[in-house]
Amino acid sequence: MSDKPEKFIDENGLRLDGRRVDEIRPMTVEMGVLSRADGSCYLEWGNNKVLAAVYGPRELHPRRLQRPSEALVRYRYNMAAFSVEDRIRPGPSRRSTEISKVSGEAFEPVVMKQFYPGAVIDVFAEVLQADAGTRTAAINAATLALVDAGIPMKGLVASCAVGKVDGQLVLDLNKPEDNYGDADLPIAMTEDGEITLLQMDGNLTADEIAKGIEMARKGCEQIFAIQKEALLSKFGTTDEEELLKEAELQAELATSEDEAEDVEVVSEVVSEVVSEVVSEVALEGEDDELEDEVDEDLELQDEGEAFTDDEVENASDEAEDLFGEDVSEFDINEGTESEGDSSSEPEDAESNEDEGEKNE
Amino acid sequence: MDRNIVIPGQLLSEKKEMAGPGTYVKDGNIYSLLYGVANFKGRVSVVPFSGKYIPSRKDFIIVKVIDVTPSNWIMETGSPYDGLLHVSEFPKRVDSSEMRKFMDIGDSVVVRVKDVSKAMKVELSMREQGSKVLRQGRIIEVMPAKVPRVIGHGGSMVSVLKKESNCDVFVGKNGRIWINGRDNDMDRLTTAIEMIESESHISGLTDKVGIFLRGGPEGTESSDEEQLVDEEVAGVSLEDDDVTEETSRKVDVLLENDPEETD
Amino acid sequence: MSEAISRLKKDYLFNLALKGQREDGRGFDEVRDLIVETNVIDKAEGSAKVLLGDTQVLVGVKLQVGSPFADSADKGVIITSMELNPIASPNFEAGPPREKAIEMARVVDRGIRESGAIDLNKLCITEGVEVWIVFIDVHVLNDSGNLLDAASIGAIAALMTATLPGEREGRGEDVKLPICEMPVSLSFVDIGGELVIDATNNEESVSDLRLTIVTNQDGSICAMQKSGPGTLSEENFLRSVEKSREIGAQIREEYLLNI
Repeated sequence: MSDKPEKFIDENGLRLDGRRVDEIRPMTVEMGVLSRADGSCYLEWGNNKVLAAVYGPRELHPRRLQRPSEALVRYRYNMAAFSVEDRIRPGPSRRSTEISKVSGEAFEPVVMKQFYPGAVIDVFAEVLQADAGTRTAAINAATLALVDAGIPMKGLVASCAVGKVDGQLVLDLNKPEDNYGDADLPIAMTEDGEITLLQMDGNLTADEIAKGIEMARKGCEQIFAIQKEALLSKFGTTDEEELLKEAELQAELATSEDEAEDVEVVSEVVSEVVSEVVSEVALEGEDDELEDEVDEDLELQDEGEAFTDDEVENASDEAEDLFGEDVSEFDINEGTESEGDSSSEPEDAESNEDEGEKNE
Repeated sequence: MDRNIVIPGQLLSEKKEMAGPGTYVKDGNIYSLLYGVANFKGRVSVVPFSGKYIPSRKDFIIVKVIDVTPSNWIMETGSPYDGLLHVSEFPKRVDSSEMRKFMDIGDSVVVRVKDVSKAMKVELSMREQGSKVLRQGRIIEVMPAKVPRVIGHGGSMVSVLKKESNCDVFVGKNGRIWINGRDNDMDRLTTAIEMIESESHISGLTDKVGIFLRGGPEGTESSDEEQLVDEEVAGVSLEDDDVTEETSRKVDVLLENDPEETD
Repeated sequence: MSEAISRLKKDYLFNLALKGQREDGRGFDEVRDLIVETNVIDKAEGSAKVLLGDTQVLVGVKLQVGSPFADSADKGVIITSMELNPIASPNFEAGPPREKAIEMARVVDRGIRESGAIDLNKLCITEGVEVWIVFIDVHVLNDSGNLLDAASIGAIAALMTATLPGEREGRGEDVKLPICEMPVSLSFVDIGGELVIDATNNEESVSDLRLTIVTNQDGSICAMQKSGPGTLSEENFLRSVEKSREIGAQIREEYLLNI
């Protein structure tokens, strides 16, 4: 299996797959591909094929896992048995458990967990075909699945890796670079450039790390552009005016819904003439209901302001502390249980893990 | 252009005091929290394309009994939170031991959200006119984000649905719609509601749905159809149109004005 | 999975069945639109993606050299796995496969094994020492009902595209996996005493009986499974056998023979 190429970068500065050192592999994205999930995204990146789906916010059982003041964000990275050269046993491994943990944490700073106390937002990322950089591909798909599910977020997250071959830094490692390179530095960041995932193995100098982060940032910028394009083009064929009309309809309902429903639904006899209904809505809408509505809005806005600047940072820091503890405990429990159940010998599980490492 | 499709994290405005629902403020600027359509009339707000229903006080919703405890019916609400209906919130006096006789697991019920605590404990009530156990009919589920379409401006769509299908219709805020009538009528109505949900254009949708329910051909251009429909019907739909426009104008005025007044 | 079933939903589906109808307008013997795409995963030796209505499964076949079982020292080995991934349905939970998933995997396995779809004798490399092991892994992506048939059709389609990686494993040339039968699985669920084919997830949720019949090219039956607490009449059962032979032949003709 040791078919290490002699050179990774040719005299023209091109890599084995023809890319420049600062170029990412081609990425394609398809939104909303699964009917059962609340949000989903299929993403191909080079030869990686990943599928991400979001369920939630939804009820969280068992109760002891619930957070009284925010939602739990659970991330499950899973590789299909046939996704790599040498088959891997289905189900969680130590490797996938670790990736799941840190990848979930990569979304902590952007997901507005505060809106859904006690609930859970489940993010599932399935690697259907692996070809170096699956964890970063999965994060890129998961961001879009979260957006597709209508989860409130402060912004997108993008992820890519920087590595080192032939003594040079390269962006978004391909398979040979990943297998035989000198370093791998996967990173995820927000649009503000805050780093939300950082791992590294291999050997890099401090200077290379500084330069590598900049390369990864540029890579993430390219990915943000692809993600935004995917989101905006989903409605490419729809007249924007139509969407605006819908937004107005929604806003109207938000103000008058209580009254409209009282009139429409509660009364035994539905008014024959629509205009009567309408005048009632409008009239009642003008008195106390409106004040209610205003109050609610102000509350909402207050809430919005409460989450600004420093406070947000503190809140999410605290949350992250909590999250780290609880979730890792949970994951480990789950992981050991499943491994215990599905594998006959512990050595087997270990060798499985090694396979996984190699395959990444 | 002042308004458009936005994605989470997109900068919407530099006037933080104008921040409305679906947005957040950072460093004095307003950003979108959601994937949806931004509205810049009055305050800056974003209406999402999708998302779960979250219980809110006074909402009428359709729930399903999933458990019965000695004093509460536990209801699945189509949201991340189950709801509790205390035995005292049933319209009749019910003895604890007999609760299942009135509502048992699997029953669908129209309830009103009485209160939602900060920790999202959802209390429900049936002591409101309109609350009832649904023994007949069907329940159709639509995305909660599409509920406004089904209700329509000033309830115009619901009116058309009821009138033209001869069915009872109740639209729960949680995206569950109860319909009841003759089987054939319910079949047509189901198709009409699916049409409302999947249609990409909402202009003239009320008319289109009305025509469909009256037995007009499906999928024909609505402009053509309008000419085919006899005068009387056309008259009605025109009137509807006027009324709904009127409503939307009124609502728009209300929307535009109230934030300013409170500021 | 212990979701309380809505009484109205149950009544609705049962009343439809009384009138000979189904929620999506199909007849009792009508299978949803089927799309079988093969060779979708380069890393697998064979693969197929099956879309059955909105149901989606991906099946990958991997081949490795390993030891034979002691009681069949001259035959290759088939190992079939299927998990109900939580990505596929709000009702599935993470964790090791439970009885429902294991049952399905075993029924898929039985159809392949008992039909003799794979010529296991040709998978022997050195008797008693080395044979090819065929891993069939079913990855469930979206459960809109009838995962079992989607998985079974995916399994045979993936096997039909599979190559024995002789060169990679240092065991001679790459050759096609020897396939000599095309089993087709068809499942029926009971709704108010009527058996309907290729059920949706809604229909499955109100049914207490599933019957799976796997047929061969010559119309013989190679595997069956009755699942769920409901009871099955002889009349319904025998009629389903006929239906599965008839519709199985159509599916084989239309979707498998051209692979």
